[in-house]
Amino acid sequence: MSTSNHHTDDHLQHHFKDEDQQFESSKLGMWIFLVTEMLMFGGLFVAYIIYRAWHPDLFYLAAQELDAGLGALNTVVLIASSLTIALAIRSLQLDEFKKSIQYLSATLVLAATFLVIKYIEYTDKFAKGILPGGHYSYEGISHEMAANFFSIYYLMTGLHGIHVLLGMGLIGWMIIKVRKRSVHSRYFTPVENTGLFWHLVDIIWIFLFPLLYLID
Amino acid sequence: MAVAGALLVLTFLTVAVTWIQIPEPFNVIVAVGIAAIKASLVALFFMNLVRDSLLNRLAFVLSFLFLAIFVVITLLDTLFRDSGFPVF
Amino acid sequence: MAETSKQTISIREYPVDEHPDKNYLNHDKGILSWLITLDHKRIGLLYLGSITFFFFLGGVLALLLRTELLTPAQSILDADTYNQIFTLHGAIMIFLFIIPSIPAALGNFFLPMMIGAKDVAFPRLNLASFWIYVAGALFALFSIVTGAVDTGWTFYTPYSTETGTAVVSMTLGVFIMGFSSILTGINFIVTLHKLRSPGQAWGKMPLFLWSLYATAIIQILATPVLAITLLLLIMERVLGVGIFDPALGGDPILYQHFFWFYSHPAVYIMIVPAFGIISELISVFSRKTIFGYWAIALSSLAIAFIGFLVWGHHMFVSGQSELSSVVFSFLTFFVGVPTGIKIFNWVATLYKGSIDLKTPMLYALAFLFLFTIGGLTGIMIGALSVNVHLHDTYYIVAHFHYVMMGGTVIALLGGIHYWWPKMTGRMYNEVWGKITCAVIFFSFNMTFLPQFVMGSQGMPRRYFNYLEEFQGLHQFSTIGSYILGLGFVMMALYLAYSLFRGPKAPPNPWGARSLEWMTSSPPTHHNFEYTPVILHGPYDHHQPEHEFRMGLVSESKETHG
Repeated sequence: MSTSNHHTDDHLQHHFKDEDQQFESSKLGMWIFLVTEMLMFGGLFVAYIIYRAWHPDLFYLAAQELDAGLGALNTVVLIASSLTIALAIRSLQLDEFKKSIQYLSATLVLAATFLVIKYIEYTDKFAKGILPGGHYSYEGISHEMAANFFSIYYLMTGLHGIHVLLGMGLIGWMIIKVRKRSVHSRYFTPVENTGLFWHLVDIIWIFLFPLLYLID
Repeated sequence: MAVAGALLVLTFLTVAVTWIQIPEPFNVIVAVGIAAIKASLVALFFMNLVRDSLLNRLAFVLSFLFLAIFVVITLLDTLFRDSGFPVF
Repeated sequence: MAETSKQTISIREYPVDEHPDKNYLNHDKGILSWLITLDHKRIGLLYLGSITFFFFLGGVLALLLRTELLTPAQSILDADTYNQIFTLHGAIMIFLFIIPSIPAALGNFFLPMMIGAKDVAFPRLNLASFWIYVAGALFALFSIVTGAVDTGWTFYTPYSTETGTAVVSMTLGVFIMGFSSILTGINFIVTLHKLRSPGQAWGKMPLFLWSLYATAIIQILATPVLAITLLLLIMERVLGVGIFDPALGGDPILYQHFFWFYSHPAVYIMIVPAFGIISELISVFSRKTIFGYWAIALSSLAIAFIGFLVWGHHMFVSGQSELSSVVFSFLTFFVGVPTGIKIFNWVATLYKGSIDLKTPMLYALAFLFLFTIGGLTGIMIGALSVNVHLHDTYYIVAHFHYVMMGGTVIALLGGIHYWWPKMTGRMYNEVWGKITCAVIFFSFNMTFLPQFVMGSQGMPRRYFNYLEEFQGLHQFSTIGSYILGLGFVMMALYLAYSLFRGPKAPPNPWGARSLEWMTSSPPTHHNFEYTPVILHGPYDHHQPEHEFRMGLVSESKETHG
């Protein structure tokens, strides 16, 4: 470890004794942050579980309105983006900056694709009058609680969508960082943590997809 | 790469099982089960928990534990809202 | 975690520079150097100033409430204003004062010092946490001037979705402050795991840090649920999503589950740090090793865990299922076990100690007395049948004031007096300190003891008027609250006086053994000018003091690896 001190750039903050300690600290910090994210989404999952236990028929009827094909496509898109960002980190650890930027850009494109598909789904619903909560006006589902299902649907996918946007911002920032070479094989903490965040966004969608779209 | 492949196969599987109409409680279990396997794959390999420190793994597990507490105890109310205390 | 490779390090004693020219207070100058400081000590003081302000604000509101209650009929406040003021009193005291109080103010200041670190792991997040807190507080204040809130601090649906008052801005403020709490929690956990000095094993950490660790765990696990709850509440008002509002097919009891899943653990965010301070005070002023170190340390974690299982005891009359009421009541009794373990260990530490009744110790003893009353009445109202009788009466009000004020605030005051010399470099007047402690102790009991009696006789909480038979007790309580207010004014005066005229504080005025006392008062910018090495436990009063000032001989970074 003593050799790495000679490389020390401005990224080692004064209160850490070496880069290992700094890396482990920020990674632990990121994991704890992910825990808080999971519990925040957890609240919505609890609401989902309780309403599904109360009204199984509602969830069956309402889920028919959702396009499972587009949902599945989005799942594939997000899994692919998880792969590309993992590869981006791998390339960066090998100091292959060009490849790393390509993979990060691919991730960004995939994330945008996800949002475009989501946008298609949303506008399709809006056109039918399927709006969240009090603005709901669709007649096609013969269940008095239909608006509540879509409230949950919009809250869950909406909060997830906000996280996709945040993730895109982070990835864009990382591309700039790689370009400026301020991250490299000896210091890649920000990219690593962005990756962790992005994988969590993927994991949440992995649960959302079968729970919302695939109810038979 | 292999992990991504497995994830795609599982995604297909989770859609496919809806075509064969598994009876009521089991369809949810299968769907959530597949999702859990996929999530573990992402966590273990993409997020590299497989080689990470015990503490970070603990954090991940802990959040699921507390979510489970939240769900189970709340269901104790919502599922039994209209029935009296079972013993009496 | 800790380095596993075998290595030899050489250590020597570093004598304390009694009054260094440069300390953290004069390291940088100007307002801006405070507002954008990354120094955990300065951020701690910023928090201390803010919570003092909000405690004052909440306290004034409390005195207004008590003044209205002097007479059975309406006197100075009408019913709606009364509702708004008790809501604001509750919301300010809970979200703006007591939750950040001990962890964010004293914890921020002393956690890094106690483990010999230069700062917390993420100083920028620490500063962000303070400014997020300020932003949240501004939202809360904004809601006060734009129509206030009259829902009670719990924002129960469906009333909170229907009332015309400024619920959205208040809940948004609380939502934002949640992030500040989360950031503090993340910072503390990572700092404790990764930044401990050589030799600072978990078993040699001061118990205050164990309690902050347990608190941080609760903060990161519970606060996100509050965030989503308040978000849902806001969506309920803005979009009418119908999760909680029965008019839209929602379930109001579900809101209470969500809210208390956070807010019951949050009760332990408020009280567990207080336990930590008391452990420090009792050991130091008994000149004795703490009795049952591991029992106290682990019982904090046990409380943190059990705290997540008992939220439904706030909902016994809400209409939740009988099954869950019974389960919650049963689980509630378990909280008493780790709490009892702490009390017994503190008393055992006092036993045959050479007790020095300095002001902080008086607060610690007051805590033992008041918190025990608060805790035991808590066990009582955790019992299902008793709770149904006492629910929403002054008995509850008295109970949680004994825990929150008699417990947390008294411990906070003890902690402020204990660490005052270290934070400011000045000694306060001991005589005035003791007199004020006595005034606060007696007037606190005068204020809240009658409320137990009124509650058990059926005086409901949150009413601006009452039956004439309660007038005597209410007036006694109100007079007590005035004296209590006077006590705080006295404290503000002698503490402020000490800042300017108080004698300079020595590095270790109380003869303590933990690391924060092994540097100058006030500390220098980096806390220590060397890397401390810990040989003994934090309460080893039988070991010579100079052995606690050891540090690595070589300051260069080649000493490891």
